[in-house]
Amino acid sequence: MKFISSEKIPGFLEALSARSTVWAPRELTGSGGTVMFERWRPGDPIDLEHYSSLSAKDVVLPRTEKLFGYTYAFGGSPFSGGLGASGTAVAASDSDQAPATSGEQIVIKPAEPAPSTVLFGVRACDAKSIQVLDALFNNPGGEGYNDPQYSARREGLTVITLACTTCDDACFCSSFENGASEKAGSDLILYPVDGGFLAEGVTGKGGELLSEPFFEESELAPPPLAETAVIEGLERLQEILPGLFDDLDFWERVSERCVSCGFCTYGCPTCHCFNIHDEMQGDREGERLRSWDACMFALYTQETSGHNPRPTLAHRYRNRINHKFSYYPENQGEILCTGCGRCIRGCPAALDIRDVLRDALKAARKE
Amino acid sequence: MKATEPLRPEPATVLEVITETTNIRTFRIAFDDPALAESFSFLPGQIGQLSIMGAGESTFALSSAPSRRGSFDFSVMKTGVVTSAIHELSAGDRVAVRAPMGCAFPTDDWKGKNIVLVGGGIGMAPLRSLLFYLLDNREDYGDMTLVYGARTPGDLCYAEDRRDWESRADLDFAATIDTACAGWDGCVGLVPSVVEEKAPSPENAVAVTCGPPIMIKFALQSLDKTGFREEQIYTTLERRMKCGIGLCGRCNLGPKYVCTDGPVFSLAELRELPDEL
Repeated sequence: MKFISSEKIPGFLEALSARSTVWAPRELTGSGGTVMFERWRPGDPIDLEHYSSLSAKDVVLPRTEKLFGYTYAFGGSPFSGGLGASGTAVAASDSDQAPATSGEQIVIKPAEPAPSTVLFGVRACDAKSIQVLDALFNNPGGEGYNDPQYSARREGLTVITLACTTCDDACFCSSFENGASEKAGSDLILYPVDGGFLAEGVTGKGGELLSEPFFEESELAPPPLAETAVIEGLERLQEILPGLFDDLDFWERVSERCVSCGFCTYGCPTCHCFNIHDEMQGDREGERLRSWDACMFALYTQETSGHNPRPTLAHRYRNRINHKFSYYPENQGEILCTGCGRCIRGCPAALDIRDVLRDALKAARKE
Repeated sequence: MKATEPLRPEPATVLEVITETTNIRTFRIAFDDPALAESFSFLPGQIGQLSIMGAGESTFALSSAPSRRGSFDFSVMKTGVVTSAIHELSAGDRVAVRAPMGCAFPTDDWKGKNIVLVGGGIGMAPLRSLLFYLLDNREDYGDMTLVYGARTPGDLCYAEDRRDWESRADLDFAATIDTACAGWDGCVGLVPSVVEEKAPSPENAVAVTCGPPIMIKFALQSLDKTGFREEQIYTTLERRMKCGIGLCGRCNLGPKYVCTDGPVFSLAELRELPDEL
């Protein structure tokens, strides 16, 4: 394996930042210890010791992103009452040319292309979650949906993973097949050793980085990786949860403390539900945006008639657990969770998804 | 037609606005790109997203005849923010559309069978498209029955089409209103009751129902009484939707997404799914 010393990491990041946007974990100033993935610039500190509060999902699936822009030639959007039969929406042209005249068709301006990006210091659970999102959004030339913006971002993304030699009480990645040794989603993996990191190229993209002058040959052996607490039998939930669906008492009990804040979904590296909405900027221009949403919010499935198929918190929590451990496995063949523990660390009501999963497994055994 | 980017709508123009009832209008729309307008096709039961930039977009059943080229219809009930904005549209206004989406009625599987359609209010929209399709391919199907109801005569959509349907010898059509009123000499009674009165034979038949949830509930009971089995009954569902491609997470019934696996489901399929309607 190759080795990079801790002292050389800033220089390595600086070299990367000369050709790409670099994201790395850092403690937010004045936050009292909150670590987040932020845009890294030379001189910025990084924090490779603590877990980030939110995952790095933002880098591949931004919390809000422009799907496209639009401009009305004159008058306004029909929504603001200004555009009548003679009104016209035209392309928001790259060159800011004068808007076209009446009769011009609506042309929609695509969002700006994504920059080349390096994601530095994610953990194996986060890298794996990017691969999970890929299955949904990144299927160029294959079956399934290929989101052009996600795909472009993914194409230009290099993932440098920090392997975990320790874990905390909330981690449960060892409940999954590869645990802390998971390599999916990573291009390059750094293993902490005395004085620095051993580096393993996982993909061609990651392997190329090893030729940078910051790396040297090493005979060191990689360290043992973290072993977290394990929930046995997660894969059985796909069969078990349908039988618990109608037991609303169970779902009321396990979700009793939930306050519908949505942190578990925003913090989760695999949650990907989104909203689509328009924002006018004045009455002539606007953008259609895609934003993170959360199935725990009361209005998430509320229909305009007033009907809500998931009217209570218990219904919504039931859907969240079922989506991750039953519906998604049925559709995609894997669980929509990587055991990162963020929903446990960040829940203001101290709700622990592992307790819920164990309760579900226990309830099935009783039957 | 398949959009190159499923979340990016194609520019289109409103050709005509038809006032159906006090709160339902049909919007005849054509894509602005002439090649797309001509090549666009869909099957009965499929849905689309209609956008007004600034207001957003909503999902509606394509309610026109699939055989009609060059334009298509959405019938829209004024209910919320987007539908209120849509109701302000006039002929010539610019909109944008993502279509078609979702699965269609399995009309190929129904060939040679008798067809019973049961619609209520705005629920006639997808059934109208289906009926046009069936009538365009009339020789492929057996007896055809349509029961279409609303609260009052003024709440019944598609007046011109109804005149045509009434005049056809090869369609047993009953339009019904909930309670008798002056000037209405047609059928009176709730849709499920009329279905029971007509008692269509379940032999070699399928039934398709769409309407308000309460109507569907009782229509299913009526069809059950007349001997229709779950696998002979189809409906088309509505849910809150954003993406229309099975990703945004709202419209799932268990592992199935109404926007992609539906909106058309047989009752047998629905019985297999979690009850979260």
